[in-house]
Amino acid sequence: MTLSRLGFILLLAGGSHAGGASGLTVTVMDDKSRPVEGAVVIARPADDVKVRPVTSELATIDQKGKEFIPHVSPIRAGTKVQFPNSDNIRHHVYSFSSAKKFEIPLYKGTPAKPIVFDKPGVVVLGCNIHDWMTAYVYVSDVPYLAVTEKDGTTTIKELPTGTYKVEVWHPQMRGTPTPRRHQVSLNPTGPQKVVFSIKQKKAWRARRLSSNLRRGY
Amino acid sequence: MARPAVIEQPEKRILAALNLRFRSFRTRVLVFIVGLLVVTQAGVFVVVNTANINNARRVIDQALVVAASVFEREIADRQRELLLAARLLSNDFAFKEAYATHDHATVLSALQNHQERIGADVMILVSTDGRVIADTLNPRASGTVCAFPQLIDEAEHSEYGEASDIVFVNDSPYQMVVVPLYLPEPDAWVSIGFRIDNTFVANLQKTTLSHVSLIRSDSGTPGSVFASTLPSSSGAHLPDALSSTSWEIGQSTEFALDNETYVSLVTSLIDTPANQVVAVLQRPLKEALKPYLRLRVVLAGLFAVGIALSVIGAALIARTVTRPVLKLAAGARRIAEGDYKQTVELSQQDEIGVLANTFNHMGRGLAERDRVRDLLGKVVSPEIAEELLAKDIELGGEEREVSILFSDVRDFTGLCENRSPQQILELLNAYLTKVSAVVEANGGVVDKYVGDCMMALYGVPLEHDGDADRAVNTALGMCEQLKGLNEDFERRGWPRLRIGVGINTAQVVVGNMGSTTRMNYTVIGDGVNLASRLESLSKNYDVAIVVSAATKAAAPRFVYRELDLVRVMGKTKKVAIYQPLGHWNRLGDDVMLELEDYHAALSAYRARKWDTARSRFSSLSSKAPACLLYQVYLKRLERFSSDPPGPDWDGVFTYTEK
Repeated sequence: MTLSRLGFILLLAGGSHAGGASGLTVTVMDDKSRPVEGAVVIARPADDVKVRPVTSELATIDQKGKEFIPHVSPIRAGTKVQFPNSDNIRHHVYSFSSAKKFEIPLYKGTPAKPIVFDKPGVVVLGCNIHDWMTAYVYVSDVPYLAVTEKDGTTTIKELPTGTYKVEVWHPQMRGTPTPRRHQVSLNPTGPQKVVFSIKQKKAWRARRLSSNLRRGY
Repeated sequence: MARPAVIEQPEKRILAALNLRFRSFRTRVLVFIVGLLVVTQAGVFVVVNTANINNARRVIDQALVVAASVFEREIADRQRELLLAARLLSNDFAFKEAYATHDHATVLSALQNHQERIGADVMILVSTDGRVIADTLNPRASGTVCAFPQLIDEAEHSEYGEASDIVFVNDSPYQMVVVPLYLPEPDAWVSIGFRIDNTFVANLQKTTLSHVSLIRSDSGTPGSVFASTLPSSSGAHLPDALSSTSWEIGQSTEFALDNETYVSLVTSLIDTPANQVVAVLQRPLKEALKPYLRLRVVLAGLFAVGIALSVIGAALIARTVTRPVLKLAAGARRIAEGDYKQTVELSQQDEIGVLANTFNHMGRGLAERDRVRDLLGKVVSPEIAEELLAKDIELGGEEREVSILFSDVRDFTGLCENRSPQQILELLNAYLTKVSAVVEANGGVVDKYVGDCMMALYGVPLEHDGDADRAVNTALGMCEQLKGLNEDFERRGWPRLRIGVGINTAQVVVGNMGSTTRMNYTVIGDGVNLASRLESLSKNYDVAIVVSAATKAAAPRFVYRELDLVRVMGKTKKVAIYQPLGHWNRLGDDVMLELEDYHAALSAYRARKWDTARSRFSSLSSKAPACLLYQVYLKRLERFSSDPPGPDWDGVFTYTEK
């Protein structure tokens, strides 16, 4: 999560809004009031001001222990993402998502060129030789976004004073969250808090280990 | 009363028939042994047969249960194999790339390619919202609703997003698996299926060794057979046969199908509200019974051989009994007919052999006894032999009135001179045979022979009417027979015989006399001695027969001449002695007249009228000069004339010698 926070800090560092230091704390719960980790919360300025895609920001999605770390990466459009391979085996990163189709065939170490995610949308990452390895990159056209921690809570800091439409996204989210979005007016007096409740799809994915193949024997 | 008799009769007849049928020992042995064998064999046969058939059913039941588990295992194995193949295919990167193109033709082509790779019959790609993306069975279909939403749903709710089952696509059954297509997130459903057809069940038949039929049922009632290894007509009738039988899942049941009895086991393949598929595993009962039927044939053969052997054996054993028994019976019949000589020869050493030995001993014993009896009859007399054989022989006797006859050949010693003993014996035997025959003809018993002397008894051992008469008649008969015998002797050049006979009738003792080891059946007493004396006296009067007064009195049918009044040697009592002349009505008048004259002369003699007596005897003697009797009296009278007897003379002549 440090890396995630690092990315978040980087995002904030690139923020264009000056002045004001109000934070927005968002908690995401499931329909049984359990905290949901890895949910992306986005604060969209109500004036719907289009923000120019960044070009200089850099994010990293590591591959360690045959998993992508972090699992969910909220980034701004135009961010260059580096895919270093910390394992001693090769990985084959790919995406068939329409927001960013790409493939880094079997490789070790850190590829020379990072991948630029220039279109907003959700990009699902996979590894061709490890079916269970998945990661999500949330590419946003606004700079104010964060991912929930284990307690289902995250704080979007350094939000300029103003009105925001706050939304939530989660890889296994089913249907629309409750509420669909929060209209939040931020002023310098103190932090605001909002809560989302989402429904989740059954969270199955490709089997992690070959031992699972023995099921049924 | 007539009715019960009518009812009884058939029963009697049956009993009689049974009796007749089983009268022969051989038949009885045969019936018993064969009957016993039949009963035991039939019992064994029934028990073994029942056990075998039950066992066959049990074996087939167990086999079907095993087949059912093999079948279920087989289905599960196929599903797993299918699943593994589907997993591999769905994770094929090239396939994912092809899918990512979202070009229908490309996707379909990739599906067909994969289908070919594993030899499946269908491959369908379904979107996460249940719409067909591409279908190898229906290449043009796209966006239509999937035919097996339940299976997709099941996959969605499973741990790994996988499901497999038998589903119907276009009314054809498929064994279908559904796995997610990871991109890398599940993006679609890949379903791969094998068609379930006769080839499928034929393969199952090979591993389960049973007929396999798959039936799709509609709400519990068997619907249609969609795959079966049964002959097509039997397969078509299976649902009807099944619905008319009570069956339960997992329980074997037995029913006929096209004249063939099957033991069947129904197992459930799919049991969802929409689909119910059962598998019917069947084995023909006949096939399971085949070894037992073979055993039954062997048993029947053994049974027949056993019966045949026991019939032969029983007949042979029975014959070893009946044959010697019949032989013994024939031997017994011969013995009954008096033939003791033949023996029954049996080579057997068993009980029958022992019986035959005993039987032969008995025959010999009987022959011995018969010979003894025969000999005894000759040595004593048949009557005495009978008497001896009838009672225990012991010393002692009883007093009876008996007439005793002694006969003697006169001057036998003289006859023997100049003759060989052989000749004498021959002569004596001829004579004795003749006179003995007369004795026997008159019911007398020859007591013994002493040289030329014969002693015969009347009244022993059996009393007859007129025993004395018989004795006198015998004496007369002997004299008569002697005439013929003498003529015969003359022809042979043998001397003429003259005999003397004495008869007395008296109370004597009759019984066995002698020692305890050697004894005679005879009579003893004064009367016997007198008879012997009388015989001796006969020659003194030149008559053949002399009887005592007692005999005369006991035999009144004859005419007697009183010979004399004598006192024999050794006796004090005077005895009147008589000569029987013949049967009273057979004598001529001249004999009677002469007898009267004689008795008159004798009376004068007794009355001491010597002169009268002399003249009378002289007169008689002149008429019959050959009669020595008259001479006897004339001689006495002559002596009395010179030496008359004393006044105490009682007319008795006393003999001082025998």
